[in-house]
Amino acid sequence: MYRPPVPDPIASSLCFASSSCRPNRFLHCLNKLLAFDQGMTSFSQDGGNEAATDQVLVEGSRFTRILILNRPRQLNALSSQMIMKLLNVFVAYENDPDVKLLIVKGNGRAFCAGGDVVAVVQSVTEGNWTMGAEYFRNEYTLNYIIATYSKPQVSILDGIVMGGGAGVSVHGRFRIATEKTVFAMPETSLGLFPDVGASYFLSRLPGYFGEYVGLTGTRLDGTEMLASGLATHFVSSTNLKKLEESLSKVETSDPFAICACIDQFSKAVSLKATSSYNRMDVIDKCFSKETVEAIIVSLTLPICSCCKEKEAESVHDEWIMSTILSMKKASPISLKITLRSIREARRQGVDKCLINDYRLCCHILRQEASKDFFEGCRAILVDKDKNPKWEPSRLDQVDDKVVDRYFVEVRDANWEDLKLPARHSLAAKYVSRM
Amino acid sequence: MDPPSSAARRASVIAGHLLGPYQSIANFSSSPVTPSPCLNYSPPDLSEKPPAFDVAALRRILDGHHHEARDWLFHLMEESPLFCPRRRGEFTFVAPDYNQTKEQQRAATMRRIEYLLGQGVFQGWFTGSDPEAGMRKLALFECIAVFDHSLSIKLGVHYFLWGGAINFLGTKRHHDKWLNASENFQVKGCFAMTELGHGSNVRGIETIATYDIDSGEFVINTPCESAQKYWIGGAANVGKVFHSTHTIIFSQLLINGTNQGVHAFIAQIRDNEGNICPNVRIADCGHKIGLNGVDNGRIWFDNIRIPRENLLNSVADVLPDGRYVSSIKDPDQRFAAFLAPLTSGRVNIAATAVYISKVGLAIAVRYALTRRVFSITADGPEVLLLDYPAHQRRLLPLVAKTCAMSSAANFLKRLYVNRTPESNKSVHIYSSALKATLTWNNMRVLQECREACGGQGLKTENRIGILKAEFDVQSTFEGDNNVLMQQVSKALLAEYIAAKKRKHPFRGLGLEHMNDPCPVIEANPTSSTLRSTEFQLNIICLRERDLLTRYASEVSRFQADGESKVNAALLSYQLADELARAFSERTILQIFIKEETTQSPGRLKDVLGLLRSMYALTCVEEDASFLRYGYLSRDGAAAARREVSKLCGDLRPHALSLVNSFGIPDSFLSPIAFDWIEANSWSTVNDE
Repeated sequence: MYRPPVPDPIASSLCFASSSCRPNRFLHCLNKLLAFDQGMTSFSQDGGNEAATDQVLVEGSRFTRILILNRPRQLNALSSQMIMKLLNVFVAYENDPDVKLLIVKGNGRAFCAGGDVVAVVQSVTEGNWTMGAEYFRNEYTLNYIIATYSKPQVSILDGIVMGGGAGVSVHGRFRIATEKTVFAMPETSLGLFPDVGASYFLSRLPGYFGEYVGLTGTRLDGTEMLASGLATHFVSSTNLKKLEESLSKVETSDPFAICACIDQFSKAVSLKATSSYNRMDVIDKCFSKETVEAIIVSLTLPICSCCKEKEAESVHDEWIMSTILSMKKASPISLKITLRSIREARRQGVDKCLINDYRLCCHILRQEASKDFFEGCRAILVDKDKNPKWEPSRLDQVDDKVVDRYFVEVRDANWEDLKLPARHSLAAKYVSRM
Repeated sequence: MDPPSSAARRASVIAGHLLGPYQSIANFSSSPVTPSPCLNYSPPDLSEKPPAFDVAALRRILDGHHHEARDWLFHLMEESPLFCPRRRGEFTFVAPDYNQTKEQQRAATMRRIEYLLGQGVFQGWFTGSDPEAGMRKLALFECIAVFDHSLSIKLGVHYFLWGGAINFLGTKRHHDKWLNASENFQVKGCFAMTELGHGSNVRGIETIATYDIDSGEFVINTPCESAQKYWIGGAANVGKVFHSTHTIIFSQLLINGTNQGVHAFIAQIRDNEGNICPNVRIADCGHKIGLNGVDNGRIWFDNIRIPRENLLNSVADVLPDGRYVSSIKDPDQRFAAFLAPLTSGRVNIAATAVYISKVGLAIAVRYALTRRVFSITADGPEVLLLDYPAHQRRLLPLVAKTCAMSSAANFLKRLYVNRTPESNKSVHIYSSALKATLTWNNMRVLQECREACGGQGLKTENRIGILKAEFDVQSTFEGDNNVLMQQVSKALLAEYIAAKKRKHPFRGLGLEHMNDPCPVIEANPTSSTLRSTEFQLNIICLRERDLLTRYASEVSRFQADGESKVNAALLSYQLADELARAFSERTILQIFIKEETTQSPGRLKDVLGLLRSMYALTCVEEDASFLRYGYLSRDGAAAARREVSKLCGDLRPHALSLVNSFGIPDSFLSPIAFDWIEANSWSTVNDE
C-alpha cells in the first residue's frame, strides 16, 4: 500500500484520501461555496439563556472569531445548549461580512470529550425517546453546517477530542494537533457507533485505518492524527498563543493565506515507533475483511512476513492483543453497525452519512433490537463499573437482518428522516473539508 | 470600446477558470465582444439538476442483490497496488496495464487472484451451496469483470468450468478429493472441451478415450491435428508457480470398439513444480485482440493414461470390468447433462455484459454532460453533447435497455441458483437467449459509447475502447450467439408443436400470452397509448406470437416439400432469428414491467416507467419485422419513432442520476468521466 508522506496540509484538508482511489468529484467546487439559503437566521446570535452563553464563549478581533467550548469540568462535553449556541453562531457568522475566520478551541485540558450522552440517556429514560432524537438532530445539523461551511474554521485540538468533539472539528477545514492531543472515536465501547458524520471522514482515511479507528476506539496522538490526515497541522502547545495572535490579524477567508499563517508555527514531527500507524500493513490486511468476525479471526492468525523478526514480534503481539481486546469488549451490535456504516459512507456524501447516523441513532434510542447504548452509558459513564452486559453478547448472535433494520427508516408516524438545511444546491452534498 | 490590456485579458481568463461556466456564459450575453475564455470543466454533478429520484434505491433495484459485498470488493481492488492505481489530476483510477506483454498481464492476473484469495473473496465459491452463496458469487464476479475481463475469465475457468464440472459431473469421490483443494487454489484447474476442428459442435470432438481393462485405466489420445484442444484458458504458460496442474478433458469414450459418446475426465497435465507431464504437449494460442491476461493454450494428448476413477461419473460410469452403465439411457439427454457446467458460464457472462455496458454508458454520459461542441447561436456558448437530440438518441435508449437488461440478468441469476431438474430446460433457453442478447447489446453499447466520446474513446485509459476488445469474445464463447439464438427458436418450435398436438394451452417460458385472443393494435396510437404498458406488451407479444406461428408453418412447409426436419429448420433461419429476438425482448420487457409494478407510486416508479417505455418503443423502432409483417401501421411505426425522440427529451434530465445509479465507483470509470481538462493539463504530463 502506497503511503503518502505526511501530507501537504492544503491538499489534505481538501481531500483526505490522497493515497486512495476515491476521487472527490467535487473538490474543485470548494471555492464556489455555498449560500446558506435557509431561514435559520432567525436564531438570535446570543442564543437562549445565560448558561448557554457561558458554555460557549465568543472572543474576537476585527475579522476573526474565537469560539471557546467552556464546560471544563465536563471536559467540554457538548450540552444541547452548547449545540444550539454553536448553531446560532455559525449561521450568523456565515452571513456576516466582518467575519473571515472562525477558531474553535476548548477551555481546560480537553477540546471536547464528546456529546453529553448522559443527559440524553437520562431524558430518554425519563420520557420520550424523541427528546434524545432532538439532541442528535441538532448536533448532526451543526456537523453538516460545519462540513459545508463557506469560511475557514481552525480547530485547535490541544487536548481530548472524542466523539462529538471530532464532529465539530474534523469536518472543518483546518485541524491543529499538538503534543497534548488525544483523539478517539470510542462509541463502540458505549453501545453506540461513531456518529456525527464520522463515517464520512473515517471512510476516507488511508487504507483501512478508518475501520480500525472506528471499530476499536483506539486512541491516537497528535502525530498520528497528522499522519492519517485527521489533523492538517501539528503545532507545539506552547506556540498556540502566538498562532492565535497571528490568526487574529488575518483579514481574509482565503484558505491558502490561512494555511500559510499556520504553516509558520507548524512543527515537523515523527511517529512513535509503537504507533498504530506503523502497523498499516496489518491493519490493511485484517480490517479489509468482509465482516467483523473475519477481521477478528484474521488478527488472531499468525500474520505476514512483517513480523518475522523475533523482537518485533512481542511488540506486535501486544498491539494485536489490545486491538482484539478492544473489540471483544465492545458491543457486538455496535461493531456490526459501525463497520457497515463506514463501508457505506465511502460511496456517500457527508449529508447522506449524517442522515444515516440519525436513522441509526433513532433506532438505538428506541431500543428496538438492543439496549446496549443504555447499558454502555450505565457501565462506563454512570455506575462506572466498566462491565457492560451486552445483549446480544456475541457477534455470531447478531443476525445480519437485525443490522439491516438499523439502516432503514423508523416506523413511527411522527418520525421523519433528518432534514438538513439546504446549502448551495448539490455542492454541499460532496463538498467537505475532507 | 478599448481593446483590453493583455493583463486584463489574462485576468479575465483566470477569472473564467475560477468562476466556472455560468459566469462565462453571462459574460457572453452581456458583452459578446469579450474574447472567449478558455474552456473550463464544470462537473456534471454540480451543473445538472439534483436527482429527481432516490439514486441509491434505483441502484439497489438494478444491482438486485449483494450491493454491500460488491462495494467491499470494489474497495479491496482500489486499495491494492496490484490493481494499478493511477493518479490523473485529482483522481485515481484503477485499470490493468494493457501495455504490458501478454506474459506480464498473465502474471499480474495471477497475483491479483492470490490477493483476492487472501482476502477471502472466494470463500464458499465451491463449498457454499445455498442459493444466497450462489448469488453472492455472481455479484462478486460481476465486480471483478468491471476491473478486468481476464481476471474474471481466469477465475471463471477455475471456479465455474473446472469446479463446475467436478461439482455437477463428478461424484463424492471427486468432490472430496478436489473441491477444497481447488477453492484455495492448491489445485489449479482448466477445462479442455473445444478443439481446433470442433467448437459449438461438442459432440463432434475427435479426442478419444479408450478403456484398458487390464490396467483399469483410460488411455486418452489426440488422433489428428484438428483434435488438438484449443483456447483452453489457463492451460498455457503463466510462470511456473501459477501453472494449471489439472484439466477436465472432454473426449469420445470408446469401449470395446463402441463409441459411448462424449464424456469428461480429470487428468493431470503438470506436476506440482509446473513441469509438463509426459505424453502431454502444450502450446500457446498466441496474442489475442483482448483477454491477454488469460493464458489460452492448445493441448495434445499422446496416449496419456489416467485411472478409471478419474471419469466424472455422475451421468455414466465404466465398471472395472469395462461394462458401461448410465442412469440416463437416452444419448441426447446424456450429452445434454455433460454440458451443464456451461450454463453457469452463460448466466455469468450475461450478467457481466450488463455491468460492462454500465461502465461504458456511465463514462460516455458523464462526458456528454461536460464536453461542448459548436455554438448554435452567434457568439453563444458551445452546446453540451447531451443537449443535442441526436446525441440523446444515441445514448439514452441504450441506458434504458441496459436498465431493463439488469433486471433480466437478475431474473436469470435467481432462476439459475434456484434451479431444479424441472426448470433445467427453461434455464437453458433463458440463459441462451439472454446471453446472446445481453452480450450483443454490450458490444453495441461500447461501440456507440466509443464513438460518442470521439477521439477520447480511443485512449486506452478511457476504458471504453479497450473494453470493446476485451469483451468481444463474449459473443462467441460458451456458445456462439447465433447458434444459441437458433436453439432458442428450435426450443420454442418444440413448445409450439407440443401444445398444438396435445391441444394443451402454452405453459412456461412466458408463452402464456399465446393462449389469449390475438391482441388488436390501434392504427394511430396516441402518445399516451404508446407509453402504456398494455400497448407495449400487446405489440411485443403480437410479434412473438405471429413469428412463432410463421416459423412453425414455414418449417412444416419445407418438410411437406420433402426436406428433413433438420434441414427445414435450417432453411427457416431468417424467421428463427427474428423469433429468438422477439422472445428475448418480450422476456426482458415482462421482467422489467414486473420490477416497475412492485414499486410504490412515486418518482422512482415514474422514472422506471420512462425507461420501460423507452425500452419497449426502441425495440419496436429498431426491428423491421413490425412493418414487414404489418404488426404496426406505417403511421403507428412513425408515431413510435417520434415517441422515442420525445422520451429522449424526458430522460435527458435524469441522465446523470441514471448512470450514477449504475453503482460503478468513480475509480473504475476513467478520466473523461471527470475533469478531463485537468487530467490532460501539462502539469500532469510527467505523471503519465
